[in-house]
Amino acid sequence: MKKTTILDLISRKLAPFMLLFGLYLLTYGHMSPGGGFQGGVVIASGVILLFVAQGVEATASLFPFRSLSLLEAGAFLLLVAAGLAGLAAGAGFLGNPIAGVDVRMVPRASMILVYNVLIGLKVGAGISFMCMYLFREDR
Amino acid sequence: MRGGRVTAVLEVVVLVLVALFLLQALQGDHPESSEVRGHLVENGSRETGALNLVTAIYLGYRAFDTLGETIVLLVAVTGVIYFAVPAGKGDDEEDHDTRSDLP
Amino acid sequence: MIWALICLIFLVGLWGVTRKANMVKKVMGLSIANSGIILLFVHYGSLSGTTAPIEGSGRAMADPLPQALMLTAIVVGVCVMALALVLVYRLYLRFGTLDMHRVELGAWKLHD
Repeated sequence: MKKTTILDLISRKLAPFMLLFGLYLLTYGHMSPGGGFQGGVVIASGVILLFVAQGVEATASLFPFRSLSLLEAGAFLLLVAAGLAGLAAGAGFLGNPIAGVDVRMVPRASMILVYNVLIGLKVGAGISFMCMYLFREDR
Repeated sequence: MRGGRVTAVLEVVVLVLVALFLLQALQGDHPESSEVRGHLVENGSRETGALNLVTAIYLGYRAFDTLGETIVLLVAVTGVIYFAVPAGKGDDEEDHDTRSDLP
Repeated sequence: MIWALICLIFLVGLWGVTRKANMVKKVMGLSIANSGIILLFVHYGSLSGTTAPIEGSGRAMADPLPQALMLTAIVVGVCVMALALVLVYRLYLRFGTLDMHRVELGAWKLHD
């Protein structure tokens, strides 16, 4: 894709803010509008802006293919493991295992925060990996 | 059969019928709230710990749907990666009487 | 009158699916109809309140249940669109055209 000056400049200055905004939506999902899926797709759209404007080789040095694929599968397995931890603590599958703990030491929304971060990482890594794979030119 | 005027007229008739049905079914008032909504609004943030009620629903009360949605995303990404090969390396088990050596 | 606009969005998507011969346009019409239905559910959920369903607002909150269900619907719609577009791409590589009628003729020729 032909690299123009304005696309090159804007993508390099804007993409870190898009990734930061996606991370903000992820981690503040339990107290303001946002959540796992929303933050994940904003992170993916930041990565997509980078590789549409800069090329896949430059972005693959920043987000390699193997580590994106491993991140997606690993986040999904950690999600299932967190659900099984809820089962082992007696609150049912995907339940809250720390429901009986004192609220001052561990806030009750921490399990929701863990779920949000895992889902956001999985969605962001999966969608950016899929789009970067389809955009490659060295077949 | 390549199209023709009969098919076009039938398609337009079906679209007009769908439009009339939608205009008839969607107007008027609808019942507003149910008992589930009352329980969610009152006890949602206290039972799950999240201030955002939508997060309390899809990660607290209905977390199994979220797990299924994650599985759908995983299967979709796997399917797209599997199908996205160029023509030279695709499966060639039928005989080639159409063009298949495209770049 | 918002339901009339949503009805119009759904009809535009349905028209794109039936009357267009280009396969990419068909898939995009399906995506437009999907967006219309999601908007319909969220609109009917928002009629029973005035603000976002976050605790500490004070005013009457909108219904949070359709919004949570439509999150799942949006993600599933994106996955279906991705798979449909990659299948259209494979059809293009096999038959060389995006026109539905020529692909059908080529498939019938393969079958005989």
